[in-house]
Amino acid sequence: MKAERDNKGRDGLPGRPSRAAKTAGPAVPPYLLIACAVLLVVGVVSLSVGEAGLTPSQLIDGLLRRDEFAAMVLWQIRLPRLLVGALVGAALAASGVVMQAFFRNSLASPGLLGVSSGGTAGAVVAIAIGATATSLWVLPLASIAGASLATFAVIGLARRGASTERLLLAGVALNALLGAITTYVLSAYERNTQILFWLLGGIEDRTWEHVAMVAPVVLVGALLWPLGRAMDLLALGPREAQSLGVDVRSLRRKLLAASTLLAALATAVAGTVGFVGLIVPHMLRLIVGPEHRRLLPLSLVAGAAFVVGCDVVGRLVGDLRLGIVTSLIGGPFFLWMLRKIV
Amino acid sequence: MDAAQNSLTLHAINVPGRLRLPRLALPRGALVGLVGPNGAGKSTLLQIAAGLLPPGPGGRVTWESEPLEEISILDRGRRAAWVPQEAHFEFGFSVRAVVGQGRFAHGDDEAGVEAALTRLDLAALAHRPVNELSGGERHRVLIARALATDAPLQLWDEPLAALDPRHGLEVLMLARERASAGGTVVFSLHDLRVAHCLDHVVVLHDGEMHASGTPEAVLTPALLREVFRVRAETAPGLTLFLP
Repeated sequence: MKAERDNKGRDGLPGRPSRAAKTAGPAVPPYLLIACAVLLVVGVVSLSVGEAGLTPSQLIDGLLRRDEFAAMVLWQIRLPRLLVGALVGAALAASGVVMQAFFRNSLASPGLLGVSSGGTAGAVVAIAIGATATSLWVLPLASIAGASLATFAVIGLARRGASTERLLLAGVALNALLGAITTYVLSAYERNTQILFWLLGGIEDRTWEHVAMVAPVVLVGALLWPLGRAMDLLALGPREAQSLGVDVRSLRRKLLAASTLLAALATAVAGTVGFVGLIVPHMLRLIVGPEHRRLLPLSLVAGAAFVVGCDVVGRLVGDLRLGIVTSLIGGPFFLWMLRKIV
Repeated sequence: MDAAQNSLTLHAINVPGRLRLPRLALPRGALVGLVGPNGAGKSTLLQIAAGLLPPGPGGRVTWESEPLEEISILDRGRRAAWVPQEAHFEFGFSVRAVVGQGRFAHGDDEAGVEAALTRLDLAALAHRPVNELSGGERHRVLIARALATDAPLQLWDEPLAALDPRHGLEVLMLARERASAGGTVVFSLHDLRVAHCLDHVVVLHDGEMHASGTPEAVLTPALLREVFRVRAETAPGLTLFLP
């Protein structure tokens, strides 16, 4: 016990970065606790507000199914919506973190690179040809296929470690092309109201099925964590990383698969929700630094809190769609980043 | 030169348009300079030696007589360190964290890190983000990271180019110490005036090895005129030493 405290004291002194790596115990870092607390608060608010406002006691009664009306509202409408929102946010933020390490560019994110658009196009095509009626898993799989296609296209167009200009231009082209496919398919085969959902992103009318579809993102996020240190090295240069002992080719394959999967699953249940993968990782780097072993778990929680928060804001302001809220926040933020970086 | 003593050997390197090298063997404990005009193939040679570029069809690289392709990537991280010519950092990792990355292949981020920071005069900058440092400071971070690997084979691409005179001499001293301790340090350089303190000089010209040997034997006025197109002359001038 004493030795452990001594250890902590030494690590706590100058070697700040070593602390996370060194503490053997399951001590949860404070920034992660804060993020969890924020997520909890916005989660409770998200469950309480809506057409039928719920008081705290109604909320508890509803969750415990002691109040039939509140239970119906919570278990059938608000809880699935909250969970889908949280998982979508976690997935998009983590996907952004991974893409930024992969491309060594802090502007790389699923929205800007067109990977989300790819997922949307895949999902919409699957719906239009009626494939989604056959199984619950067709929709996410179609989304993964579309997002993978977009990922490969970006890599082909921009190359790794490419200049910001090249990366963004590749994203612009892909977003335009895939957006056109989505719009065409929806206007030709589907109801036009669906266009809104897929192109502007949203988490209304989500069911437990959607929660199940997007739930694997937690697993993907957890699998990424052990790669954190290698990601640190890769983020500073692939050749340097390789010379220091990182199997860069294998790492890149894993990162690409993870980031595509995360963005695709988020898109399959919520359409194109923009800018989350850009804003959240950037803000977190400003707060806790760029080390991925901190950034990855934190991005899952903070991404969840951000999207749930945006959803609450949208509902309070008057039924603004989730994708519109994130874009209203993300657009100016992106321009500010562009001014700083390019 | 007995093969068992060689720290690094390159055989039949053939990267079209960049480097052709029939054979180069560098003994353990040597401080080796790689000289040649811009575009002569110095960086290519270092990257091939580090296993970062393929040696071309039929080409072969060995470390301590062991073929490079039989050494796992993780193991390579413990046995050789490569320092790139350009030090560009996209993200604001702290100086200490970057130097600690040198320990990746060892599975820790502590051993020798403080010593490397002190040695390269970086202790005061340890918590600064690397992307806010000057070019020379960034280079010192990369050299400190290479030291932290504790690898016997050190391959540095123009480590002196960005450094001020004081830190340049420090790095040169450091390289000499590593070599005296049995390691092998190979680095490229442009300042031929420091060549006299090297054990071995390899002259590259237009992607071919032009000469290889002790500095006195190799850097003759005739060679300097032919390869570098300069006229060499010993004249009284400024010579710098560590106090």
